Amino acid sequence: MSEAKLYTHTIRAGSIKENDEQLSRNTLFTDNLWRGAGLALVIIMWQVGVSVGWINSFLMGSPVGIANEAWRLIQSGQLLNDTVATVYATVVGFLVGSILGSIAGLLLWFSRTTARIIDPFVVALNGLPKIALAPMIIIWFGSGMFSKIMLAFVATFVVALLSAYQGTHQIDRNLINLMRSLGASRREIFTKVVAPATLPWIISAFRLNIGFALIAEIGGEFISSDRGLGRMIFVAGNLFNLNVVWVGVIMLMIVAIVLYIIVSQVAKLLLPWEKGQK
Amino acid sequence: MNLPISSGRLTDPTIGMPQFRQSVITLDGVKKTFSSPGAEPIEVIEDITLDIKQEEFVSIVGPSGCGKSTMFNIIASLLEPSDGSITLQGSDPNCGARIGYMLQRDLLFPWRTIIDNVCLGLEIQGVRKARRYEMARDQLARYGLADFADQYPHTLSGGMRQRVALIRTLITDPDLILLDEPFSALDYQTRLVLEEEIVSILKEHHKTVVLITHDIGEAIAMSDRVAVMTQRPTSVKKIYDVGLSRELGSCLKARSDARYQRFFDSIWDDLDIQIDGGAA
Repeated sequence: MSEAKLYTHTIRAGSIKENDEQLSRNTLFTDNLWRGAGLALVIIMWQVGVSVGWINSFLMGSPVGIANEAWRLIQSGQLLNDTVATVYATVVGFLVGSILGSIAGLLLWFSRTTARIIDPFVVALNGLPKIALAPMIIIWFGSGMFSKIMLAFVATFVVALLSAYQGTHQIDRNLINLMRSLGASRREIFTKVVAPATLPWIISAFRLNIGFALIAEIGGEFISSDRGLGRMIFVAGNLFNLNVVWVGVIMLMIVAIVLYIIVSQVAKLLLPWEKGQK
Repeated sequence: MNLPISSGRLTDPTIGMPQFRQSVITLDGVKKTFSSPGAEPIEVIEDITLDIKQEEFVSIVGPSGCGKSTMFNIIASLLEPSDGSITLQGSDPNCGARIGYMLQRDLLFPWRTIIDNVCLGLEIQGVRKARRYEMARDQLARYGLADFADQYPHTLSGGMRQRVALIRTLITDPDLILLDEPFSALDYQTRLVLEEEIVSILKEHHKTVVLITHDIGEAIAMSDRVAVMTQRPTSVKKIYDVGLSRELGSCLKARSDARYQRFFDSIWDDLDIQIDGGAA
């Protein structure tokens, strides 16, 4: 018999630290600390680099320059005007496109034949980068707000339609059979099973669509517009005013985050049954 | 060893079932073949002939893969037989008898609260909201679930959810209740408790029940009769007049009765289950 070594490891009560919840709260705090520190470091290095002359502020902009431009644009009210214009066109196009798209996708559940016939067209439209339609849409609807709304609408409609339609396909057959055995009509099956079961899919399309709507709206402003953050960025870029470009970009980021948070909160309200579910 | 075997009809007076009751569901030579273009047609059900009377509890036991879900769908009128007929007799002028069912999965709608889940059938029948809530609260209270009325299903345990599913089934007062392995997702203890509970509830409501299962023990413990099916294409191989739970008044007692094991062994032999791919 070979000699065997015996190892011992004892786990005592309390020797394994944490409580998951405690852990996640602490983690969130330290994570945020690191994030803030990292960001501050980049900004400071950037400014120092510009001051020392290692970084070309004409091509890169500078934190101080960005802050000055931001302050000027806030005071003149231009930043607010442009932000409102962009948010307005994005949100209206996004809402109309996402809602109508979702409804259309849901209604396709009623007619498999229609769904089958239009399927290749929908797939083709979905694959098309919607920004390619911008020149045409601007020719048709002008360079004002309405063409931007239309662009955001086009960018979100197909995504919402496809997502809702796919959602109706994922419904548990057994739920529909249960409804049938209870004597439910097709309309009742639609309102009581299909629509609520598809809601999570619709919501996830809404989340994606915020990004798509913003891309289309800003793209439209780049091509032709009279106001908006996209126009501000585009014009400043042409004038090599990089600090203003940065102001626009940062403002757009804030807009995107705020819109995303709003949609997430609305989603929570609309899906109360998913609260606390794994 | 003489086990009571019948030919699909109630013959044994000792099990205390009143004779000459009306049939609720009669399957006569039911056959089901699935055919799809370009593929060989698959014969799933060869022949089911079975007559189930009012207030009877009949189990259908078969080896796995014998087409249980097809049988279920046919009895639930969700699927049409390829040949033969099914006759339902009951309170519904359109389809004869109304069938309520309960599956292994509770099929509670996650977006509905417990009380709204219970009300589903009543809602479809057009019962007014105040009335159906009253009925549902009544039933929930009766089964100790009143506190959960406004919760969503995911907060309840598996056993509680199955109870809710049962209430949802019972509240519309169907003529026939069809159970498809309703306990197989539950742990053993919950299963025994629910078996007992369901049999007593169903007897109290004078319900006719068909249980489709692969669990031989469950079938013996709960049923008046057990129909044993063959491999696919399936047909009724034998019908046992069990009636232990009715005679002894409890499923647990049925499980500890001496006859339980004899039925079990005999049904096990009938199922002809082969271990290790037939190299028995």
